[in-house]
Amino acid sequence: MDQRIVDFIHALRAKGVRISVAESIDAMRCVEIAGVADKQFFRSALRASLVKEPRDLPTFDELFPRFFGLDTPPPLQQPGSGMSPEEREKLAQMLQQMLASLSPEQLRRLFEMMMTGQGMSGSQMRQFINEHTTATQMTTGFQPWATRRAMRELQFDRLEQLLQELLQKLREAGVSEAALQQLEREARENREALAQQIGREVGNGLQQREAEERRRRPVEDLQDRPFEELKYQDDDDMRAVINRLAAQLRTRVALRQKRANKGMLDAKSTIRANLRYSGVPLDVRHHRKHLKPRITVICDVSGSMRAVTGFMLMLVYALQDQISRTRPFVYYRTIADVQADFQRLRPEEAIRVVPERVQGGPWQTSLGSCLETFTRDHLDAVDRRTTVIFLGDGDDHMSPPNPRAFEIIKRRAHRVVWFNPEPPYRWGREDNHMHIYGPMCDAVHHVSNLRQLVAAVDGLFS
Amino acid sequence: MFNTIGDVKTALSAQRYIPSDEIATTVFLAEKLGKPILAEGPAGVGKTELAKVWAAATGRELIRLQCYEGLDETKALYEWEYAKQLLYTQLLRDKLNDLLAGVTSLAEAADRLAAEEDVFFSSRFMLPRPLLKAITSERPVTLLIDEIDRADAEFEAFLLEVLSDFQVSVPELGTIRARHQPMVLLTSNNTRELSEALKRRCLYLHVDYPTAEQELQIINLKVPGLPPKLAQQAVELVQRLRGMDLKKHPSVSETIDWARALLELNVRHLDRATIENTLNVLLKFEGDLQRARRAMVRDEGTRRDEFGRLRRDDESGRFRGN
Repeated sequence: MDQRIVDFIHALRAKGVRISVAESIDAMRCVEIAGVADKQFFRSALRASLVKEPRDLPTFDELFPRFFGLDTPPPLQQPGSGMSPEEREKLAQMLQQMLASLSPEQLRRLFEMMMTGQGMSGSQMRQFINEHTTATQMTTGFQPWATRRAMRELQFDRLEQLLQELLQKLREAGVSEAALQQLEREARENREALAQQIGREVGNGLQQREAEERRRRPVEDLQDRPFEELKYQDDDDMRAVINRLAAQLRTRVALRQKRANKGMLDAKSTIRANLRYSGVPLDVRHHRKHLKPRITVICDVSGSMRAVTGFMLMLVYALQDQISRTRPFVYYRTIADVQADFQRLRPEEAIRVVPERVQGGPWQTSLGSCLETFTRDHLDAVDRRTTVIFLGDGDDHMSPPNPRAFEIIKRRAHRVVWFNPEPPYRWGREDNHMHIYGPMCDAVHHVSNLRQLVAAVDGLFS
Repeated sequence: MFNTIGDVKTALSAQRYIPSDEIATTVFLAEKLGKPILAEGPAGVGKTELAKVWAAATGRELIRLQCYEGLDETKALYEWEYAKQLLYTQLLRDKLNDLLAGVTSLAEAADRLAAEEDVFFSSRFMLPRPLLKAITSERPVTLLIDEIDRADAEFEAFLLEVLSDFQVSVPELGTIRARHQPMVLLTSNNTRELSEALKRRCLYLHVDYPTAEQELQIINLKVPGLPPKLAQQAVELVQRLRGMDLKKHPSVSETIDWARALLELNVRHLDRATIENTLNVLLKFEGDLQRARRAMVRDEGTRRDEFGRLRRDDESGRFRGN
């Protein structure tokens, strides 16, 4: 049973559930205490100790029956139960003969298992499959296909033919027809069980390999890769990276905040607080800096910008506890307030749907008129404590630059910052108006990879 | 205390709380392993209530620490009682004079005072906050750390230390170890991601909205006077609202409030007018209210049997035809 639980934990990890060694030890202890007699309790015990994220619950629910459900393949049985001792003798003899001359090796092993009922354990079978087939080189999404491939490479369909051969020989040797029929039925049942076991172990093998791959893949590198290459990355991986970066940022900000606490002496508050100590300043109060920024993000969602916009929004929403208010806007040919989407959906999902909120197609970015609309309809999103972040390449294919509207936003805002993923030498060329907006901003950051993005976001908190 | 998971169920049920298998198992494991439980889920599904009934069922005292933004150690753990220290110094002035009598240099006076420092930094002048209270309590306690997601990340890190060893170190006094290991329940509404380290130390319990059957049980238990048929209809409606795309779904506590309201209004039958008038007990956003009303009008045609039983026969006949 312990082995089964360990396998289960491996499979969960392979699916991206993060389980530490401490947690797997907990799981063992929990199972010990809860017992395995009642399946519902057993399941709850595993769930309470292994799964710590609501989003991992479906994975758990999906894998649990596969490992502890009723669909474990039936054990193999020894064929030939209905035969007399002499007949069984004959069967053993014939089988020996056939096996001796049978090739290839893997087919011989399969046939032997089928006819003697002596199967393999799960891990033996997985090794057997790994040695003789290429099925586990595929990815988990293709499990049925991989299983078929394993069957083909093991020449599984030849088992039927071999069975018929053996039956024919036994018939010639004078074994009774009833006994033969039973033998055939039992052998077929064994074959079904084997097929099920192979299917399952192919699945386990795939998951195991995926888990190893995941471990091997260097996450660090992702930080330095340009955004365009990142958008094909696995969602889970990206989320992990973003969460880690957010945690880093958070500690950095927290540390700074702690130090910033020792700001200027707040005389009024100190006197008030120390009245109860007869005016002896025991409790010294300091001015606190306002360190939780209000952020209004205005993001370009044209095709080239979508990846970086996604990361930016994910990062901002991973840092929600450090920000007092976030107002996201997206623009293309038109501009739209997408706060509602982020309130309704999880950030990853919201990012996927927000580009539909605005109109636009290739070469239709219209920053100038979007700024105009923004100053007309959405100026309430900007006040003197708001940091406005523009995230875009500064391209404008449809309208002239609009420094007047930009000036209006700037005058209302605490700070205006521009994050631009385009390299600086392109700023101001052709349709790009960065040379007009750039000098008007309080800061312009070139962000072409995650590291630069994190550094730029970090700048918002100081 | 509990020998089987069944015991937990019985004990919690005796406190008028209906635990799912999940909850009972987790509480049982927490008792046996001495690990904290981290309960997550939407607001109003009975996470805080669980701590209360857990404490009551085991006869422990409940100590509650409500988390909020900016909560720090002095509010959660302990604080020196400056005022009392000051008062004592004033009152003991004569004594201090005696102590310092015959001192020639300032350095000597400071040395003598320092020797008496222990008097002022003793547990006498310490103001214990919930965490310290739970640790130093003479009797076993249940500690509820409510809405941990509202506290800052630094506080979470600090909490880790307490939760893993159940001891705290006070620089002036040394390490204080727990006499009885408190049973800890942390709740979170999932407004932010908690740190992995914290999650690793806890048993995780995801409390979701109950199934219709469980919710009906809860209503019957909490609002005993409600006619069974009405309770059934009320639960069905709430469950249906939860299936809709709303800003905030009605929670169990709101269902209970609603059921109580229905009882107070002496409603016999759940018709449309009643629902319209009392829906604001269930839904707290204007947008949600409007959406629910629209859905109800839409349903009027198709699900008449639920609200008015006028044309039930031909209605069901039509459905069978489809």
